[in-house]
Amino acid sequence: MPAIVAENISKTFRLGRVDVPVLRGASVEVAEGEWLAILGSSGSGKSTLLHLMGGLDRPDRGSGSITYFDDRPLDRMPVRTLDAFRNKTVGFVFQFYHLLPELSVVENVLLGAMIGRGRLGYAAARRSMVERAEGLLDGLGLADRRRARPITLSGGERQRVAVARALINDPPVILADEPTGNLDRANGDSLLESFSALHGDGRTLIMVTHDDAVAARADRVVSMYDGRLSAGSGR
Amino acid sequence: MYQALLTRRYLTRKIMPLLAAAAVMLCVAMELIVWSVMGGFLEELIDSGRSLIGDIEISRSQVGIAHYEDLLLRLEADELIVAASPTVEAFGLISLDIAGGSRVTECLIKGIDPESFDRVTGYRQTLYWKPLDEPLPTDTFAADPRLDETRADLWEALQFFGESLERPERADVPPVPLAVLGIEVFSKRDLRDPGGFVQDDFLTQRAITVNVLPTDTTGGILEPIARRFVIANEFSSGVYEIDSSTMYVPLGQLQDMLKMDEAERVERGGTPTLVVDPETGEERFELPQTIGIEPARATTVLVRGRDDADLETLRRRVRMIYEDFSLEHPEAPRPEFVSILTWEDRNATLIGAIRKETALVMFIFGVISLTSVFLVLAIFWSMVSERTKDVGVLRALGASRSGVAWLWIRYGLAIGAVGTTLGIGLALLVISNINAIHDWLGRALGLQIWDPAVYYFTRIPEDLDAAKVVIVAAAGVLSCMLGAVIPAVRAARMDPVRALRFE
Repeated sequence: MPAIVAENISKTFRLGRVDVPVLRGASVEVAEGEWLAILGSSGSGKSTLLHLMGGLDRPDRGSGSITYFDDRPLDRMPVRTLDAFRNKTVGFVFQFYHLLPELSVVENVLLGAMIGRGRLGYAAARRSMVERAEGLLDGLGLADRRRARPITLSGGERQRVAVARALINDPPVILADEPTGNLDRANGDSLLESFSALHGDGRTLIMVTHDDAVAARADRVVSMYDGRLSAGSGR
Repeated sequence: MYQALLTRRYLTRKIMPLLAAAAVMLCVAMELIVWSVMGGFLEELIDSGRSLIGDIEISRSQVGIAHYEDLLLRLEADELIVAASPTVEAFGLISLDIAGGSRVTECLIKGIDPESFDRVTGYRQTLYWKPLDEPLPTDTFAADPRLDETRADLWEALQFFGESLERPERADVPPVPLAVLGIEVFSKRDLRDPGGFVQDDFLTQRAITVNVLPTDTTGGILEPIARRFVIANEFSSGVYEIDSSTMYVPLGQLQDMLKMDEAERVERGGTPTLVVDPETGEERFELPQTIGIEPARATTVLVRGRDDADLETLRRRVRMIYEDFSLEHPEAPRPEFVSILTWEDRNATLIGAIRKETALVMFIFGVISLTSVFLVLAIFWSMVSERTKDVGVLRALGASRSGVAWLWIRYGLAIGAVGTTLGIGLALLVISNINAIHDWLGRALGLQIWDPAVYYFTRIPEDLDAAKVVIVAAAGVLSCMLGAVIPAVRAARMDPVRALRFE
C-alpha cells in the first residue's frame, strides 16, 4: 500500500492578470519507507508539488488530491488539522535552511516540539525534548554547536540543524526541497549520508533536486517537466 | 510556548522594539505627569477652597448679619456642625511706609475671631513666622531663619501674636492693633531664595495704614476710615490669590472701622439740636433720643461641618437654622437676602473651569498618545515584513494562524509592558521631584513654567494615586496591543509558501 498518493494535481498561480499553470495533472505514489527524488529543472513545478504534498498550499479546486496513509485528502482537512499534519506527519528541509537567527541551534531544533505540544505539553516534556534535540544534533555532528547562533555556522552545519529540526517530532515523512542546492560537494555528500541514515530508519523521503547525481542517491527518480511527472526509474 | 521564546528574543536582540518601548515610555510618562499635576491642581483648589472658608458660608455683604452671636450659638448646637466663626470682610487700601515713600496696595481685609476662625479654617496652621524644628524639604541649605534657635523667642512671640491677634497692654507701647498679612501681599515672592523663605523685607512688627470705606445699614457709603496696625505675623495658605491679597485684623477692630459694632440707635433723621435753658439761658446741644441698641454685625459666618456630613444636607440644615434665627431677630436680614453657599458653590466657576480644562488637556494628550499606537503599528508592520520568512518557517513547522497572530500581539503587549513600566517609573521620578525640577529649570535656563500668579498655588501641586497609575498603565499596554493587531493579522494571513520565498 502506498504511503502517499498524489493524483492528478493541478496548481495555477495568478501573476497580475495572467493565470500561470505550474502543475498540470501531476500524479505520483510513494511507498512507505521509499526515498523518492523528483528531478526537474528550475521552474518545472517540483517545489510547488512538494509544498502541496507538505500541506503548505492547496491544489486548484476541482483538481486531484493528496492522501497520506489512506487518510483524509489534505485539501479536505480543516485548517487546524492541516497545521497539526505539518507538525507531526512531515518534516521540511529547505534549500536555504530557514533557521530563525534570534534562536540558538538547539532552540531552532525545538521549535516544532514547542509548536506541537503547546505551552503545558512542552513544559511537561521539556527535559525529554531537549535531550532528544541534543541527541539529534549529536547524531548530526553538531554536539559542540548546540548553543551557537545560526549566523556563526557554516552552510553545511545550518542544513544539518534544519534536518534535526525536521526530525524533532519524529515524522514518518521528510520533504526536502533542494537540500544540497546551497552546499558544496563535501557538505552535500555529508548531508546525503544523513538522509541515507534516515531512510535506513524506515522513514519516507521525498527530495526535490535538479542535480542528477543527488537524485541518483534515491530509490526512485521521477522527472518533472512543464508541470507533469514522468514515469520513475528505480535504482 | 514558542511565542514566549520569540517575544523575548525579538525584544532583546533588535533596536526597533526598544525604540517603540521608548516611545510608549514617553507617552505614558507624559499622560501620568499631566494627569497628576492637573489632578493635583484641582484637588488643591478644592482643598484650599474648603479650608479657607469652611464648608458653608452664610453671608450678607456690607449690610451684615445682626445678632450673629446667637446665630453662632444655634449653629454650634447642631450635631452636624463642628464650629462656626463670624468674619467681617471689606476691600481697602493698605500702605506700608518704606524709605523714600510708601507702598500701597489694595487688599481684602478680614476681621476675624482667631480662635473660632482657626476651628473652622485651620488658620493657625497657615501662620508663617513660628519656630521650625526641621528644615523644609526645599530648604537644601537649612538657611531658613525660622530654624535659628537663638531667635526662637522672637518666633514664639510672633506665633503667639498671630494666633491671638492680641498683645498684652503695656504703658510704654501705644495700643496699636495687630494685623496678619498674606505673605505675598507686598510682592515679596521675587525676593525668595531657593529655600522658599523671604530673605529680607522683614515686615513683622512694622506698621501699616489700613483705609476702608464704611457703609451704614442701608449700604450707604460713609466717611473713609484710616487706622494704623502693626504686622504681628504673616500667613501662607499656599494659594497665591489669597496670600497676595488678604489680611486679617481683629473682628472688633474692623467692625469698629466699618461702623458694624454695637451702637446706640437714634431716631432716623435725628440731629443734635441747640437748646436754650429757659431758667439759666444756657445754650447746649441736645442729642437725638436713643431708641435702642444697634447690634454688632458680621458680614459672613463660616461653618465647619462634621467630616462625614453630606455637604448638601449641611447646607439645608444651616438654612433651616438661619430661618429659625431670623424669625426671632427681625433686625437680621431675611433668609432670601442671605446667601448660604457651600464651598463648592463658592468656587463652582473656577472648579468647573479647572475640571473642564483637566478633561480637555487629558483628551489632547490622549490624542497625542495615540501616536504610540501608530508608532507601534508602523514598527510592527515593518518588523512583520522583515520577519516574513520566520512566519513562513513557523507555518511550515505547524504553527496555526492564530498562533502566529498571538506571537505578534504578545510581542506588542511585551513592548507595551516594558514601555509602560519605564514610563511609570519616569513619571514617578518627575512627579516626586517636580518642584525641584522646576526650580532647577528656573535657575539654569531662566524658565518659569509655573507662575503662581496664574496658577493660584506657589508650588506645583500633584496628586498621584494607584487608580491613575493603573488606568494609564492599562491604556499604555492596550494601545500597544492595538497597534500590534493589524500587523499580527497580516502575519497570520500570510501565505506560507510566499513567506518562505520572500526575499
